[in-house]
Amino acid sequence: MTWSLIILCGIITFLMRFIPLSGIISRELSPSTKNSFKYIPLAVLTPIIVNDLSIVENNNLFLIENYKLYAGIIAIIVAFITNNILATISLGMASYLLMSNFINI
Amino acid sequence: MKKLKIFKQGILEELPLQLGVFPFGVIYGVMAIESGLTPMQAFLMSSIIFGGASQIAFVQLISNTTPFGVIVTTVSAINSRHLLYSISMMEFLKNLSLKWRVILGYLLTDEAYAISIRRFINQPNTSFLHFHLLGTGITLFLSWQISTLTGVLLGGDLPQFLDLQFIIPLTFIAIIIPMIRSISTFLVVISSAFCGLIFKNLDISFWIIISGFIGVLVGIVSNKLDKKR
Repeated sequence: MTWSLIILCGIITFLMRFIPLSGIISRELSPSTKNSFKYIPLAVLTPIIVNDLSIVENNNLFLIENYKLYAGIIAIIVAFITNNILATISLGMASYLLMSNFINI
Repeated sequence: MKKLKIFKQGILEELPLQLGVFPFGVIYGVMAIESGLTPMQAFLMSSIIFGGASQIAFVQLISNTTPFGVIVTTVSAINSRHLLYSISMMEFLKNLSLKWRVILGYLLTDEAYAISIRRFINQPNTSFLHFHLLGTGITLFLSWQISTLTGVLLGGDLPQFLDLQFIIPLTFIAIIIPMIRSISTFLVVISSAFCGLIFKNLDISFWIIISGFIGVLVGIVSNKLDKKR
């Protein structure tokens, strides 16, 4: 049973990734529809980010001593200034590790 | 050769993210064994489903003897965002052969998509762009398999990784911030962030894709209003 469950989940997951590429959806889309696709990375990755920054924990806003949030804000500033992935990751991670390991309250 | 060059660029750009992906895979592997799956089931799930967050949800649910229907719905809900990724890649990949589209569809997960869509949007007219996605996808696939296997073999207590998984949202920040170039893109980010916070806490299982849809709608509407002005 577990095997069939894993395989079923695998098939559904694959179909969700593949169906738009399969050509079933009309290939000739209007320019305005195509234009709206550019919002997808922003609209999907942003909720994942805010969730990972633990801004809400157990239905409470978690803003004070939330080092992930602070490091996230630092990363946003670094990304804005440098437009560089490695700089953003390293400064964001370094500031998170520094805050979470050396601020003892 | 240009194809090889683009493929290698995909691999290189995907590599730093693996520092965050690897611990995630090990944790999944350990949890899968704890949940009572056989090592073979735990390991092969990583290539059959190939979706980190959904696999962790799967093993958590199965260890609580959740009804199968709930597990299938949860996994589908978590992975439904890939439908949107695929839609946004459609334009770039539509002229490829079926074989290519099957392979790239299979490899289309968060971390590969995030790195490659950046390249696709910045340089849409480069030829052989699909080799970039192949590079990011294969890198992610291999590191996911190796890290899962490590977790499966390791078993026991959940290892501590200094929160290295935090690298994943940091990378996503690095990718989306430069994409904010107009009022409409800014509003997409604000609205999808806000919806994400609300829907996640209302325990709506399709929270990411619903927030994504609302974000895209906000983008379309604000873009129209902006043009009218």
